[in-house]
Parts: sequence; C-alpha cells; structure tokens
Amino acid sequence: MRIDQLKTIGHATPRIDALERVTGKAKYSGDVRLPGMLYARVLRSPHPHARLRSIDVSKALALPGVKTILTHENSQVVWGAGGISGGQQYNDEIKKITKHRRYIFNNPVRFVGEPVAAVAAVNRHVAEEALWLIQVDYEVLGFVLEPEDALRPGVVQIWPEGNLSLNAQNQAQPQVTRRGNVEQGFNASDQVFEDRYTTAFVHNAQMEPRVCVATWEGDKLTLYTPTQGISNCRSDTARDLGMPVEKVQIVSQYMGGGFGNKNQNQDADLITAMLSKQAGAPVKLEMSRKEDFIGVHGRWPTVQYYKVGVTKDGVLKSIQLRGYSGMGPYRKNTGAIGGIDLYQCPNIESTIYPVYTNKTVSGNFRGPEYPQGFYGIESMMDDVAYKMKMDPVDFILKNMTRKSRDEVPYTNYSLEECIRRGAEAFEWKKRWHPQPGSDKGPIKRGAGVSFMAFRSALGRSNAVIRLDAKGQYTVFVGVTDVGPGAKTTMAMLAAEALGVPVSKVSVVWGDTDRCPYSVGESGSRTTIQTGQAVVEAAQSLKKQIAEKGLPKGQDILAASASPNPTLEGKVRAAFGAHFVEVEVDAELGRVRVLKYVAVHDSGRIMNPLTATSQIKGGATMGIGMALHEDLLYDRRNGQPLTAGFYGARLLTHRDAPEIETIFIESDDGYGPYGAKSIGESSKVPAVAAVANAVFNAIGRRMKDLPITRDKILGVLA
Amino acid sequence: MSKTKSKKKISRRKFLKGTGTVLAVATTAAAPPPLEAQRNIVTDPSVPRTTIRVMVNGAERRVEVEDRWTMVELLRDHFELTGTKIGCDRGECGACTVLLDGKPVYSCSNLAVWADGRSIQTVEGLARNGKLDPLQQAFIDHDGPQCGYCTSGQLMSAKGLLSRNPHPTADEVRAGLTGNLCRCSNYNHYVEAVLAAAKGGAR
Repeated sequence: MRIDQLKTIGHATPRIDALERVTGKAKYSGDVRLPGMLYARVLRSPHPHARLRSIDVSKALALPGVKTILTHENSQVVWGAGGISGGQQYNDEIKKITKHRRYIFNNPVRFVGEPVAAVAAVNRHVAEEALWLIQVDYEVLGFVLEPEDALRPGVVQIWPEGNLSLNAQNQAQPQVTRRGNVEQGFNASDQVFEDRYTTAFVHNAQMEPRVCVATWEGDKLTLYTPTQGISNCRSDTARDLGMPVEKVQIVSQYMGGGFGNKNQNQDADLITAMLSKQAGAPVKLEMSRKEDFIGVHGRWPTVQYYKVGVTKDGVLKSIQLRGYSGMGPYRKNTGAIGGIDLYQCPNIESTIYPVYTNKTVSGNFRGPEYPQGFYGIESMMDDVAYKMKMDPVDFILKNMTRKSRDEVPYTNYSLEECIRRGAEAFEWKKRWHPQPGSDKGPIKRGAGVSFMAFRSALGRSNAVIRLDAKGQYTVFVGVTDVGPGAKTTMAMLAAEALGVPVSKVSVVWGDTDRCPYSVGESGSRTTIQTGQAVVEAAQSLKKQIAEKGLPKGQDILAASASPNPTLEGKVRAAFGAHFVEVEVDAELGRVRVLKYVAVHDSGRIMNPLTATSQIKGGATMGIGMALHEDLLYDRRNGQPLTAGFYGARLLTHRDAPEIETIFIESDDGYGPYGAKSIGESSKVPAVAAVANAVFNAIGRRMKDLPITRDKILGVLA
Repeated sequence: MSKTKSKKKISRRKFLKGTGTVLAVATTAAAPPPLEAQRNIVTDPSVPRTTIRVMVNGAERRVEVEDRWTMVELLRDHFELTGTKIGCDRGECGACTVLLDGKPVYSCSNLAVWADGRSIQTVEGLARNGKLDPLQQAFIDHDGPQCGYCTSGQLMSAKGLLSRNPHPTADEVRAGLTGNLCRCSNYNHYVEAVLAAAKGGAR
C-alpha cells in the first residue's frame, strides 16, 4: 500500500498514554500498594563463590515486625529461565535434561549478589534491619572472573561438568558454524590478518529497578511485576511454581524500561510469590540499584579472535572467529557473538565458547549478541580496509551481505542505499581522514562507519477487537509498554485497518486475565507479530460490520485473530548504517561525538515520532557502550566495583550528541503495512561506528571496550 | 544535622513566598491542619519521630514522620504521590527530582524531616485547574517520555530551570537537566521539548 493512501500509519502521533506519563498518573509496578502489604528485602552473597555451611535466621525472625524468611533450606524452587543448558528458551523438554539447574536460592552461591535469603516484614526498614541479623557461615571457595581463564587447567570448577557451559544436548562443546573451508580460503587470500578484540559486561541499567508485588487469593497468584512479556512471564511462573497457567495472573501496565533485562520471569517474582504465600499477606519486593546491577543480568562480555583473508582487490575470502563469552555462573542466554554474517564470504568458521565465571550473570540486552559482535568484526574489517589502502565505505560496499548467509534472498534489500544515503548526508568524504590520526595538535577529529542487518521475523500472536454501540473500539493485546510505544502502535494499526481515527480506539493491555497471548516485547517483534494480529482482527471486525451493521443498545461486535505467518525461502531483515564524527583530546583522552547520522530501513515506519525516539536512544546507548560502560571487578577478591549508574557512567544530557535520523521506507509485503524491526537495531552498529571514528582520529586501533580516557592516553603515550 | 537546623530557621515570610499561594497559607497557618493519620506505613514505636508541617503542591499538610524516612518515602508512601519515582535511591539518576522551595532536589537524598516548614512541588502539582503545564504539553508533542520512568524528574528539573532562566540555550537546557538520566536516552527530544516550551513562554 502506498504511504499517501494511509491515514494513520506513517503519521507522527503522540502516544495515547502520553498524558499519564507526564502527569505522574501512570501506575508502575512499584506504585502498587495493597492492604496489609509487607515489604521484602533480599540478603545477597558477599562472596564470588562460597558454600553455605549453615544459615541461622532465628535472631532475624525474632525482630519485631519480621513476618517470614526464606532460604535454600525452606524453599527449593527452580527458576527455569535463570539458567539452562544451551542457553535457549526454557521449555518442558529442556527442563527434563538440564543439569545446571538454578534455584531461587542456591548452595553453593556462585557470584557476588546471588540471593541467600529473603525477608518479609511490616516495613522496608525492618526488613533491611533483619538482613543484618541473619547469620551465614560461608566456606569461601576459589573463583574465576575471565572467560579465557576459566578454561585453563587447574582453575576452580564452578559446575561439576566444568566451566564450559553445556549445550542443549548436555555436551561440553563450543558452538560451531561453518560454511566452505576457511583454510582453503586463507590459502586463496593475498593477505591474512589476525587480531583480538574484547568487550565488557555492560548493564541494561533501565531506570526502573526490579520490583514485584505478589498476592494470593486462595490458590490464585497475582503478580504486579515489570516484565517485557506478560504471557511468557505467566507460563514461566506457573511452571516454576507447579501451578496451572490459569491460576497465575501477571499485571504489567507501565514499565520503566527493560532492554532485555525484564524478559521472561525473574527470581524476584518467584521469591515474592513464595514470601507472600508463606506470610499469608501481599508482599512487595524492592531491589536497590546495586542489586539490580549485580542481581539480574547484563550483556555478556566477550573475547574475540579474528583471522581474515582478503585478495589484493580487497575481496573477502575467509573469516575465522574464535570467541569466548562470559556467562556468569548460570547460562541465561546463548552467549553467541553475531556479526560474521554481515559479510559476503565463501569461507566462514565461527567457534564460540560460552563460559561460566563467577561474575554476575549475562543475558538479554538490546540486540543480545550483536553490539559486541559487530564491534569486533566491524573494527577488524575497518582495520583490514585501511591496511588494504581502501576507504572503509568502499570496503563495506564491496563485501557486505547481499543475501542472508550468501544464499537466501532478503525480502527487500536496501543496505547499499542506507550506506550511500548516510555517506552523503554525513559528508563522509569531507569528514573522513584518508590518513588516520593526521590532525596536528592535541585535538584530533576522525570519522567512522558501520552497518547492520537485523532479523525482522514473522510469527505467532493474538489480538481481540470489540466494538460497542457508542462506536468505541477496544483492542485487547497482551503487550506491555516497555517504552517503544507498543500500545500506541497497536491503536494506530487498528485505526488504520478499521478506517477510524485513533481517538475511537482504546487499548487494554498488560494483564494476562484480560488480554490474549502476545509474544512479548523482546526481539523487536511486537509491531510485526502482535501488530499483524491487530490488523487481521480489525479486518475481520470490518467484515462483520458490513454483514450485521453497527451494534445497537447493549450489543457488541467482537473479532479475534491468531495469525502465524511464515516466510518461504526468504529472510526478512532491517538494515542500517551509522556514521560518526568524533573529536579526541589527545592530552585528556576525552572523546566527544560531533556528528552522528543514523540511516535505517525498518520497513514502513508506523509512527515517525516514536520511531525516531528509538533510533536516537539506541545510538546514544551505543555511544555509552563504546566509550563509558563497564562493570569492573576487583581481581583480588571478585567484588564488583562499578555497580550503579554513576559507576557505569551512563551518558547524560551533556554527553549525548544530536542524532540525525534518516528512514528509508520500504514495504516488502510482509508484516503489518510492511513494518520491520526497529528497537534493537539502532544500537547494534553504533558501538563499532564510534570505535572506528576514534581510530580515524588518533590512528590507533582501540581493541578493548570501553574506550575510556586511560586507554586512549595509554596508546598515545 | 546542622543543615537541618539552618533550614528550620527559614522565616515565615520566606515560607509564604515559597508557597506561591499566600492567601491559602495565611489562613491555614493561623489554624494548623489536623495531624494526618498514618494510613499506609506500619511505623515502629521505637524509632524517633517528628511532626512536620509541609506545603505539598499548594496544600499544607501536617504529619508525623520517622526521622529516618527520606522525602521520597514521605511523598510516595504517605502522600501517595507516586508520580515521583525511585531510580537509584542514592542521588545518581534524578528520577526522584522534586522542587523544594522552587529548586530541584533529589528527594531520595533529603530526609522527610528536612521538609518541615518548606514547600514541595511534585509532578502531580504541575497541571493547574486541569490545564497542563506548557512543559508537560511540550513533552507530549516531542515524545519526551519513552518508558516514562525518568519523566517526572526531567519535568521538575526543567520547571526549576525555566523559573530561573526562562530563555535557556540548548546547552543551558542540557546543563540544567544533566542530573536526570534517561536510559531510553531520549535526550534530544527532552531538550527540544524544553526549548519549545520556553519559546512558548513557559516558566
């Protein structure tokens, strides 16, 4: 459908719940207060690895106001999504075989911040005081922090099977993917380059810390909890607690961000549910900012060894990656390192070791395996381009992916246009220095580029739409609203498909008792999947109206849709390219972003207002990952040193540059009105683009994230 | 605690000036409002407590607080003004920013007792007579809030900024709001919104 035929989609539309967000009326999970509610606090391990010889809660229980205490001795709930063989989506089959089971309280404890006990008391001060009265006798064990160290002989074994995380078949094997033959590829190359890149653990650091309110009515549990997917959270919680799904209600109305940190259910949900059950009263568990940093998860740190072969014309012949991902002591995700597939190359081999360490756990964070992987490979390729005396933009245009994995066509392909449009808008030729580090004086400017392709898969979801006699349409969708504006997008899609203004559409969301299944806000797929269900439900409702006429009196009309579209023989991807100019102060090591252009093909843009916010936000976050963020550990004692906003040095108003956003709109015929993914894709190329710009400015390749002042001063010294 | 004492020395005239609703206060000041019952919080009799009088969004309140409560606890738990958020509870993020006598402060880093004799404005007090503050409208128009969790704090810092500098430059807006983190990182839109509101005469 052509854009000028659309009345709502593609038009900048303020959020339908913006009023609630600017007046303080929006109720977040932490704002929920129930009569007789208790407050909970969690005691966490001060050691990176220790066995609990004994735990004595008697003094804490005797404190007036303390109602109940949970420890590993009286509560053995398995947290399914918390640690799994293979790091894949937890399900009943995986549950049967997984050896590295994670409980809500584990013995031994395997990282600083792991829950040891939880207290519910009449107020938060009493609960905090009670934590000091719990006496734990720890047998302190050895620990290991870095993934490469964890695989060396003689090092402490975090699990009996060793420190290499098991795969889905319970084998201690790395993940290997191959195409062609890399050795033959290197032999056919004119030049071969090798290098090592590392990335740090960075925390999602969403503004809303984890919180949960649990209440039981008979055998029915209700959790008010910030989750990115109420449906998944419900099925996870029901499975972990051995309850029928319909006996669990998840409510997540307003949500203070997640970026992957609030996928699935969390141990906090299970702990709060169990405290509430045992105390016979509603319980609110509030986590501090430090607990949120070390007790949930962040992006897995990586070590990446690349070997790349090219012909003298700068054509890629072979790429080999050996990578190590630090998963913490539980495997919450794959630990993959994405990026090799960005390049057209006949010979590829990737071997990834997901490794257990005694650092905090790694898991989903905006484009889980890509920002760190893209940083590694796109730094490597940028370096190869310079060494081959090529402009990096030309190198990319020559070698970038044209078909997925060199075989499967994309539903549409705009990567070349993204790069050309970006280079033009950015004035690449003017800003890029053919001779890196050539600026005289201490202030050095440079330009960098990177690009991306990001999955935009189709899939299952549901929606219900109801029309009453007053002409008001109500859309029921199981989305939460993490921040991208899903609720508004769903209203806009319904309005467009029904041919009514957005004001005629209200949305019921964020409550499993009222809403049908939705995939959840992860994987940048809510608009594509749940949006498609909304469009199909609207079309079905329109048909009913045509047949039966508008409802009168107490009548209503309702329609539902449960589409599960598939792609045949094609791959759907969003594309993008980021161009960055930086200024490096060689005397202070400070990096400042001067100009930033982000070009994206995310298919048809549903709402330019909110889409722009997502691009700006992702790019800004990427700058933070490139230059600032790191959870540092003391190597002597395994203590995290920089847990919190200040320590992680998130970008502030003063650090954040203007992000110029350009959309290349397309309609590939799939997804609602051609929508593709957007939310995660804006972060994935940002890190590499900044790092490459720093190289162009100072002429030194920064191979370890984050690119902090001390590192810059170090290479320039 | 010397800070507490010096704050308490605030003159009545200054107190009235700070409230912005002199007439209403003049009447209520003569007859103190009744002590509010503890509705939501189970207090501990062994903990030292103080009765305070505080103007909250233009209405005078009298309440007994535990000396250990922070201002944000008082606002959220007792007054049920949950628009003010807790992001870090340690003065790093600004989600809890409120105006104390017209100046932005982190309510997580002030004690409730320090509010005695002073005036607090929260996000709930921005709209007047059902009409949004121009800053609120600009935040809507420019899509300032994404997840919205930092929004109240951004609004209150912006309000404080415009009251002392009604026509800031973009850099002055960034400086004025730099104590308010936004992890959705919608900084560009927030700055645009504040500039637009200032242009429209907001203060």
